[in-house]
Amino acid sequence: MFTRLTVLARWILLVVLVVPVVAGLIGVVFPALGYFPVLGATTFSFDVFKQLNSVDGLGRMVWLSLFTGLGATLLSIAGAFFLLAASYQTKAFRYLQGLLSPLLALPHAATAIALLFVISPSGIIARLFTASGEGVMVSAGMSKWSFAFPYDELGLSVLFALTLKELPFVVLMAMSVMSQPQLSHKFKSYLAIGASCGYTPIASFMKLVLPLVYRQIRLPLLAVVVFATSNVEIPLILGPNNPSTLSVAVFYWFNHIDLSLRLLGSAAAILQVGVSCLALLTFIFVEKIVSKVASSQRIQGTRTFFDFFIITKAAGIVGLYVVLCGLVVYSVIMHSVAQYWVFPALYPSGLTLLHWQTVLGGMLPPIVNTLLLGVAVSVSSVIIVLLALESELLKPTKSTMTLVLSLALFLPLLVPGVAFLYGLVWLQQIVLASATWFHTFIAHLVYVLPYVFMALAVAYRKFDNRYAMVAQSLGKTPWQVFTHVKLPLLTSPILVAWALGASISFSQYLPTLLASGGTLPTITTEAVASASGNSSRVTAVYLIIQALLPLVAFIIAWWAPTLLVNRKRGENGVLSSVSKESEVLNGK
Amino acid sequence: MILPNRLLVLRLEDKATMFGVSAIRIRQVIAVLMLMLFASFASKANQIATNQITTNQLTTSQSPHATPTPAKSASTRRVTSDEIEPQTVRFHAWGGSAQVNGYLQWVSEQVKKEYNINLQHVKLADTSDAVSRVLAEKAAGNHSEGSVDLIWINGENFAAMKQHGLLEPEWVSSIENFALTNPQQNAAMVTDFGEATLGMEAPWGKASMVFYYRQSHLEALSLKAPTTIEALLTFAQKAPGRFTYPIPNDYLGITFLKYAALTLNKEYLDDFYSPVSPEALARVLLALWQYLDKLHPLMWRKGQTMLRQASQLQRLMGSGELSLAFSFTAAEIPSAVERFDLPLDIRTYAMHDGSLANVHFIGLTFNAASKNAAKTVVNFLLSPEAQAQKQKLTVWGDDTVLDMTQLNQAQRQLFIQDTPHASALDKTLSTPLLAEPHASWTDALRDAWFKRYGARY
Repeated sequence: MFTRLTVLARWILLVVLVVPVVAGLIGVVFPALGYFPVLGATTFSFDVFKQLNSVDGLGRMVWLSLFTGLGATLLSIAGAFFLLAASYQTKAFRYLQGLLSPLLALPHAATAIALLFVISPSGIIARLFTASGEGVMVSAGMSKWSFAFPYDELGLSVLFALTLKELPFVVLMAMSVMSQPQLSHKFKSYLAIGASCGYTPIASFMKLVLPLVYRQIRLPLLAVVVFATSNVEIPLILGPNNPSTLSVAVFYWFNHIDLSLRLLGSAAAILQVGVSCLALLTFIFVEKIVSKVASSQRIQGTRTFFDFFIITKAAGIVGLYVVLCGLVVYSVIMHSVAQYWVFPALYPSGLTLLHWQTVLGGMLPPIVNTLLLGVAVSVSSVIIVLLALESELLKPTKSTMTLVLSLALFLPLLVPGVAFLYGLVWLQQIVLASATWFHTFIAHLVYVLPYVFMALAVAYRKFDNRYAMVAQSLGKTPWQVFTHVKLPLLTSPILVAWALGASISFSQYLPTLLASGGTLPTITTEAVASASGNSSRVTAVYLIIQALLPLVAFIIAWWAPTLLVNRKRGENGVLSSVSKESEVLNGK
Repeated sequence: MILPNRLLVLRLEDKATMFGVSAIRIRQVIAVLMLMLFASFASKANQIATNQITTNQLTTSQSPHATPTPAKSASTRRVTSDEIEPQTVRFHAWGGSAQVNGYLQWVSEQVKKEYNINLQHVKLADTSDAVSRVLAEKAAGNHSEGSVDLIWINGENFAAMKQHGLLEPEWVSSIENFALTNPQQNAAMVTDFGEATLGMEAPWGKASMVFYYRQSHLEALSLKAPTTIEALLTFAQKAPGRFTYPIPNDYLGITFLKYAALTLNKEYLDDFYSPVSPEALARVLLALWQYLDKLHPLMWRKGQTMLRQASQLQRLMGSGELSLAFSFTAAEIPSAVERFDLPLDIRTYAMHDGSLANVHFIGLTFNAASKNAAKTVVNFLLSPEAQAQKQKLTVWGDDTVLDMTQLNQAQRQLFIQDTPHASALDKTLSTPLLAEPHASWTDALRDAWFKRYGARY
């Protein structure tokens, strides 16, 4: 019975991932081929693609998407491994999570807006370096203090912001692998061997641990490539607009007043899929080269591995995050309570709660909606994913099915949201037009499931199955093994995946807006609306609320295991016997 | 501990074998369902007409919130709050202004109290999001259960919705308070950027273009605020990087283009009030391009990056990156100063060579779920009470569309304003108003601009 339930979960996972995206894609492919009856376009042709091809600066848009997306991914991976290498065997490793998680939890749009508070020509950094007398002249966009940031034509500010945002994700993913008891045990012994052969800690990490960790987080990294090349929010807020990245152009064409530009948008969305695929291929190519070079490096026998370079870079990255986070926190909080605050003053003329009152006045429904959606979506995702993962063990699938499933996971990440969501709204209008909550739930699930799956799959697949075998040989059923052995041992990664799922649900803008027709205001839809508005102070208030919500989820994810274990320790239940068993197995 | 669990599991296993066949069925059923979904979707495009009928039947019988029971549906009369369940009206309106949002919150409290209507302000980042939504609903055959009831529009968005039949026609004349705008005498109340409204939208407020500047900046630069289009260029030459305008997709961006085109072509002014012709366009573009080619390199970020939204203009004024900007709502300037979003040294004025003026409207969608309640809301929005509240500087400061000659003494009294604000426009000075050019000029000017200066997504 339980086995069948898990197989059912696998099918649900597949259906939820595939149906909305494929339906949405059809809603894009048809218009791209010139078929969109509402606008009176009823003949199939490649005219729209020809029209797209003649758009000025198309090549530059594609290049910007590739450059910012791939560049940010490679930089964030390098940075993440530098950080891990430099800190793995030190106390700093534990603090790393605390430092980076707030940024992981912050939605992309919020990150971009927060950076504007700090690094724009009138931001806090420019203020720090300006004497009060020259204020008027300095704040102009053309003076000597005119920063490349934001809106620079090369897309460097987009690349910078994406890197800042993706690095914590890579670190957290790697950490969740490395904290697996079985793996961390293995790594410790590898590092011990490395150390006994005279390798420095960094060299042994880079040569012995990294290759293993990398293999485990490859899937999430590919998702980062696709995401970074097709992200809309960051290039929209920080990017150049002459021209912009391709994703922003897609977004623009879909939202344009001239509805016939939908056709062009659809064709560009298909091109975006191609660009993301190209980025993936390039990434895999780079991977190949790096692994070639690395494997020859590994057997050279040098006992160091750019130690100084890595340590300084890691320290630099940590320093950058600390300074930026500090400045962001200061300027956002100050803006949220600021009265007048003219350039280049470092603090406002006075404090007021007016902006908080303005926002909180109408805040209850959005907060309730955000929480209800977030909790419903993340809890159901975790349940579906856990059962689907369990089914891999209980009822191993054919290799084609495994391939289909891992492809399905990538579907929602491969197709730009603006494109398939429009098609999805179309489908939802046909089926159960009034079930707003259900539709929004599904639209969120499409985005949350892949991340929850990736976050959990790593931990789950690396679960030491000997525990399960021991339990089964003692007469436990699969269900008992699942609930009494696996769930307790996996509590920590499950809760982290749940928190990740909740924070992704919290941060959804387009899915919420389109699927609910705007009838379910959430913190994020309100925040993005305010970001296009005229008050940076009100935006600051929204930013704070947006940052706090996922933070609460992650804090729950870190504290709950400790609380649970402490409580369970007191009981004489199955868990304590299992944990004793596991201690025996671990050889403690 | 183990034994009872095992028994339970054994029983479950028995059941499982009972359902063994059906579990395989489930898989088949799901597969079939998926296929059906795909099939229905793929064939959907050809069958909109057929599906429309079924969707209509389906949705009217399942009507979720708009008309809880038949007895309550048709009533437009005033009802007390405990008599029936409240109706919900969804008002899709740009949500980027704290003042507008605050005013709409007051409105929703009022209509809840007086008419037992739940007015939900759906805050849009971009009004075209809602236009897309209605279009998607029309495409899917949703003709009576739309999620957008009222929508705040004018100009381009109205033209698009009118063209695609997304608005309910001829409903405005049934609104009691609409008569107070004196539409017979006042063509601006039934014309939206040269397009006849055909009763599809009711006027809500009025706006005209004003400029505002940072007094301390201008003093430091020892400059005077420019009062003509030519003086603006001189200003930009003396203070490069202190002025910009949004791209012409934005209403303020296209407004600036129109202002420049009108004032730079005084000899061809008549051309602007009839549909655009290639010759007329070529005539006026000559002077416009000459001007903009000189202005752009002198603007914020050398004109390379231009703002996408008007509201960002106000932000940059607030942060001090700009010294001179413009707005279409004179009252939003002092109001933003009151809310600390703009500094105290902001001064507002109107250009001496004319300021562009227009009216903004509220449309009712063709498929609104609660049309009667929506009309009640519009009637309230046009009441002297609501219009006077809207015009208060501390609230929003949007000019009323009501004609004062149509009001009685007590109603007129509501509009008397308090003492003027230092940052507010001095209304005692008279300014020449420029009427909006014919709607066809908007597209023509914008397209020509994009062709010349790049797409700027």
